[in-house]
Amino acid sequence: MDGARVNETAYRLESRVSRLLVIGTYLAIGIVLVGVVMLLASGADPLALATPPFDLRQIPADIAAGKPEGFLWLGLVAVLALPLGRVIVAGLGFLAARDTRLALVSLAVLLVVTASVLAALCLEG
Amino acid sequence: MIAGLVLLGGGVAVGLFGSLLGLGGGILLVPLLTLGFGRPLREAVAISLVSVIVTSSAGAGVYLRKHVANLRLGMVLELFTACGALVGGLIAFALPVPVLEGLFAVLLGYVAFNMLRRRPPASAATAVAQQPADEMLAPPADESVEPVAVPAVGAVEVPQAAASSSSPFVRSLSGPGYTVTRMPFGVVGAVFAGVVSALLGVGGGIVKVPLMNLAMGVPLKVATATSNMMIGITATSSAVIYLLRDEINPYIAGPVALGVFAGASVGARVINRVDTRLLQNLFIAVLIVTAAQMAAKALGL
Repeated sequence: MDGARVNETAYRLESRVSRLLVIGTYLAIGIVLVGVVMLLASGADPLALATPPFDLRQIPADIAAGKPEGFLWLGLVAVLALPLGRVIVAGLGFLAARDTRLALVSLAVLLVVTASVLAALCLEG
Repeated sequence: MIAGLVLLGGGVAVGLFGSLLGLGGGILLVPLLTLGFGRPLREAVAISLVSVIVTSSAGAGVYLRKHVANLRLGMVLELFTACGALVGGLIAFALPVPVLEGLFAVLLGYVAFNMLRRRPPASAATAVAQQPADEMLAPPADESVEPVAVPAVGAVEVPQAAASSSSPFVRSLSGPGYTVTRMPFGVVGAVFAGVVSALLGVGGGIVKVPLMNLAMGVPLKVATATSNMMIGITATSSAVIYLLRDEINPYIAGPVALGVFAGASVGARVINRVDTRLLQNLFIAVLIVTAAQMAAKALGL
């Protein structure tokens, strides 16, 4: 790719990724805020509560039941997912621009995070 | 309810002072949670990583919109910080807690020393001058600067030989007005930064920013912004390990992350109106005392 095209692609991608990050952060923090308000309203002492085991499948049920942990987990998962979303959007952008090397780098980043998940699951098991 | 509000307030204070002093949240949050709230170190590190991702994502959003961060360079380097974070996240569960506490004490001491050495002469002590400025939201200094015009500001003179010996791929990672060089340094430093981040719950900007700026010829402002952007993936790589090992307490992480986000947002807006020099002196003292307390805890004193 020539320099001008690289810069143009990068600029367009940066704007797109920026929107994702800003909107995503506010969304994730908004969900956390709901959980925190519910937690405070319940009068519970967060420091005295034991860490509930993380179970992704339990989150919808907790939210439906109006439990603060449902919103807290969802918000925190959204926070952790944001950087991954950024890599996916950027990777697809690089792919569309036929910048194969950067698209492969994006894929490799996602593979490393997947390896982290697998390593944690192995340690757990 | 009181405890929840105290946690929220603690998060606000960390976010506010962190952004005013150009420090990442982790360096403040981990001692607050361990020494202040008596939480286990690994839990504190995990919560710190979550908070760091929040502020990094928000800050990176602004930096990218202004085209200050170099997305291409950041993505290549974050592949290696993520590898380091994966390794660091695993090591964190193998190392005894006192060793981690000792390492954190060393980090605190180093940051205090660095701040002491680099104290600016006037109140214009902006965050960008400090390396760990990573986790700031949007530094107000950038508001008035057209990022595309940034090129030469803070750029380090790179020997012509180093620039011309870079591969075409590495040169394609460069930005307007600067050429990325010495990629191997960047790779090694990025892995190290990832390990430090995962072990201690900090952003790792303390390693990445000087590395990019001094070794790779990236202007300071671009290096800071790019490092900020990279933190998200670095911290996520290790945070998922903590999450799946049930080290993230949502009842504490929620209020703290919310507070840090709010505090950092406020800090980024008022930084130009605050004389940070006095704050910085006070903070250096706090860092030294905290480092001593952390070291004493590590040694079982």
